[in-house]
Parts: sequence; structure tokens; C-alpha cells
Amino acid sequence: MLDALRFEWTRISTLRSTYWLTGMGLLVTTGVAVLLGVAARNEPLDAEILTMALNGGASFGLPFLAVFMAIIGIFACGHEYRHGTIQPTLTSLPQRSRLILAKLIVVVAATLVVTFASMAINTLVVYIVWGEAPGLFEDPIATALIGYALYTLIYVLVGFGLGLLFRGVPSALVVIFLMPLIIESIIFGLAFVPALDWLVPVVKFLPFTAGARLMELNPAPFPPGSPDFDLFSRWTSGGIFALFAALILTAAWILFKKRDA
Amino acid sequence: MITAKGLYKRYRKTVAVDHLSFDVRPGVVTGFLGPNGSGKSTTMRLMLGLDHGEGETLFDGKRFGTIRRPMNEVGALLEAKPFHPTRSARNHLRMLAAGNRIPDSRVDEVMEFVGLGDVKRKKPKGYSLGMAQRLGLAQALLGDPQTLLLDEPTNGLDPHGIHWMRDVLKTLASEGRTIFVSSHLLSEMQLMADELVVIGRGTMIFNGDVDTFVREFTQSQVVVRGPDTGSLAETLKAEGADVATEADALVVSGLEIGKVGHLAFTAGVELHELSTRRASLEEAFMSATGASEQFVAKEPVRAADTAAPEGKAL
Repeated sequence: MLDALRFEWTRISTLRSTYWLTGMGLLVTTGVAVLLGVAARNEPLDAEILTMALNGGASFGLPFLAVFMAIIGIFACGHEYRHGTIQPTLTSLPQRSRLILAKLIVVVAATLVVTFASMAINTLVVYIVWGEAPGLFEDPIATALIGYALYTLIYVLVGFGLGLLFRGVPSALVVIFLMPLIIESIIFGLAFVPALDWLVPVVKFLPFTAGARLMELNPAPFPPGSPDFDLFSRWTSGGIFALFAALILTAAWILFKKRDA
Repeated sequence: MITAKGLYKRYRKTVAVDHLSFDVRPGVVTGFLGPNGSGKSTTMRLMLGLDHGEGETLFDGKRFGTIRRPMNEVGALLEAKPFHPTRSARNHLRMLAAGNRIPDSRVDEVMEFVGLGDVKRKKPKGYSLGMAQRLGLAQALLGDPQTLLLDEPTNGLDPHGIHWMRDVLKTLASEGRTIFVSSHLLSEMQLMADELVVIGRGTMIFNGDVDTFVREFTQSQVVVRGPDTGSLAETLKAEGADVATEADALVVSGLEIGKVGHLAFTAGVELHELSTRRASLEEAFMSATGASEQFVAKEPVRAADTAAPEGKAL
């Protein structure tokens, strides 16, 4: 297993895309914190702004870091097929499950390190602007931030699974962008149409929508007149997102074991 | 030593590899011959467990998938350019080496050995096919393995490169290694290989040494030239030989050269040439695999030839 980890670490650390994707992710999330700081520097720092500054706008619906790290997740296996390196890789490490496990461990570790680094940088930005970060280590902010790290991690795992399932980069990218941004938004929007009210109970099962509840500070207030979505709690919703990632990963893993390389 | 037993692979309705069994001995270069699409690459992928199928391949008694740090025992070159375009050649090899506990110093060593020392920090995107093949060989040699599996390693190499590859493989074989190298370039194999495994449409056509293959699949012919060989042709036919006329010569098959000479001598026919013509490996290969070729192109037909009968009808 150590050999496989050493292989995967060399693989990910000798790719330029790893650095610019991580860099872009950190730059954008830091940018959001700086913008918030500039815009709201004269207002008192409330829990809402603090959370959004720390997660780089993710709770606002734009999970930048998760998206950039998910591309690294897609590349983990997608690149191997896109460039044909899966053949030398498997002649170097023929135990397929060990290879996938090593790839997963490295991607998960990288995601956690980068996510916490991003939160640390943004905490620094908050301290520079407001000179304080009240309630950072207390509920509900601490819970929302843990939820944010979990959300990013599951998002990346979905990307990893899609890259392995589709055995390529473009189709996995299309799915990971299309699904949360377009498909889920459309279903959510259509649920407001009275004639399509049968979509209402579906909404709470939409994986990315459910996952986003992990990082919410307080239950999001819907505008008056909205249908009753009867959303699950933070952890149950997160569980739905995790289950979705697990299904994709399991399917991809089983197929990877069965298919010709 | 490689022992392949009952290798079988089918894609839906097509059987790509049909129960192939063969041994590849150490100390010699074994050529793996077959026309395009005959299942050479699929066989090699089956041997390495990249493709799933039936049968079993043992490398010195072990299945590939069970070997710990396999690059140290079996080196493989299967595709021409399996490299990430922006990762330097050296880093590509470092990555594979890392999975098999091979030190970076060995990476530099093999890159020097294959002649890529000056461009090792360049990206393989800019490599020519010939350079990519050299990098592929460097990859196969990383772990200094006892066994090498190379799929068309001379593809894209210039004559100098082909010569070099041939010498390298022969040297490696003389060190007691097991070398299994596929090709559809038969002239190449004639110079490189000692043993042959010949397949067509996934089935075994021949397994043995090169000379036997040539002998088995070629008819040697006797060329007879002289000022007046017309009467001799009749005599030879009477002896049961096939006689064809080629320019000013007779091409005799089915009779030994000594017998032809004797007949000419007793008939008092003046000869200017009496020689044996041996078919090349190329021709042997054509006759051996002719019936089993997967993709057969039609013979080119000249427009004038097809137009002629119509002209006559008019």
C-alpha cells in the first residue's frame, strides 16, 4: 500500500494542473473573504458574514474550492484514461483496488489540507479587517464550518467517482457542472410551479442541494408562499449527498475491477 | 521464462485470442508475429492482466498480478505514447519507479541508456514517435527486469534506431533474460528473433525457431537459365515438377536442385544458371497467414484492365 501511495503522490505532485487548480481555488476563496471585508468592514461582524467569509462564499451557493478540488478528483483517474497512462500504471501496480484506494487517500488528504488551509487564510483576512472572529469555535459557526469541509470532501469524491466511472475527463466535468448548476436548479425552480407540485418531495433528495445544507448556518428561510419542501436535517441531508457519492464510487470501483484497462 | 496456457478472449461475437498456449524461453529473443488485427496486442494485455479473459500466464511461475513490485521482474512496453503530455519524461518514470521502490538514480540511468539523457526534463508531448519508443523501452527497463514484453517497439524508429533496438534486445537476451517482442515487420524479426510465435486471427500458426518456420512455410524453387531450355521444361514436367517461365528462366518447384542438374546433364542441355531460390520470411509469413488475415485489401486493378473486355465487346 505504501508503494501505491508513493506512486500516487508522485503522480499528483508532478502535474502542473494540481498546482494551478489548488492555487485558483485558494485565490478565489480568499478573494471572496477580501471582497466581503472591503464591502462590510464598517458593519459589525455577524455570524452570517463570518461563515461566508470563512467558506469563501460556498454557503452562498458558489462552492469554489469544492469545484476546483473536484476537478483534481476527476483528474485522478480521468487523466489515466485520457492519456493512456493507465497501462503503464497497471503494469507498475497491478492490484487494482490497492491503486484506487491509494488514489482516494491522496485526493482526500489533499482536499482536507487545502480546505483547512483556505479556512485558515480566510480567518487571517477576517482578523485583519475586523480584528476579531467572534464565535468561531462555537455553535452554530463551528458546525457550519465542519459541514463545509465535509461538503467539499463529498463533492470531490463525486468527482473522483465520475472520473473513474466515465474513464475520461470531459464527460465527468460535464456531469459535475451540469448536475448541481442546471439540473438540480431546474427541478428546484419547477417545484414552485403549482402544476408540477409533485416535484416538491423530490427536492430534498437532490444530492447537491441536500449536500449544501451541511454548511448552512441556520435553516434557510424560503420566501413566503414557497412550497413546503420538508427538507431533512443538516446531517440527514449530508447523508444523502454522501450516499450519492458512495453509489457512484462503488459502481465505478466494481466496473474498474471488471473492465479491461 | 514465460508460460502462457489457454489464453482466450472474446469481444461480443469476435474471438480475438483463441486458446493460445506457448512458452517463451530465457536467453533468446522470441518474436511474436501476426498480421495487423491478429490479436498480438490483446494477447500481451491478457498476459499482463490488463484485459480480462481466460487462461493463465506465468512469469517464472508467478501470475503478473501477484508479483510484488512487478517492474523489477517484468518490464512492459505496450502503447506507443502512454504519457501525460505536460509531465516531464523523467517525472513520468519517477512516478512508475515510486510504485516499485526503484531509486531516482536508476531513472537517470535508463534515460541515458536509451539516449534520452539530454531531453529527460522535456515534456513527452514534443517527443517524436521514435523518442517515445525509446522512453517506452526505458520504462520497461526501469526495474532491470528478467522478462521483457514489448509490443511493436521498432514502430516509428529510424533505421539507425531499429538497429540499436535490435542490438539492445539481443544483448539483453544474451544476459539470460526472457524477451518477447511483437512485430508485423517480418524482415525485422528475421534479423532479431531466434524463436517465433506466429498467430493469425487469434490462433496459433507456428511456434518454433525461425529457420524451421521458413522451411515449413516456404517451398524452395530451382531457377534454370540457358539458351534453349524448352525441351528441358517438358522433361522436368514429366518428372512431376511444376515449371513456370519467368523472363528467360525456368522456375522449377517440386524437384531438388541436384535432380534438375542431373536431368539437364543427361538431356545434354546447356545451362547458364542453376540456383536455388529460398523464399524470405516475408513470403513464408504471407503463405502461413494468408488465409487468416483479418483485413484483406483487394488487389489494385488498373482501369485499363477492366476497360479492356468492354472494348472488345464493342
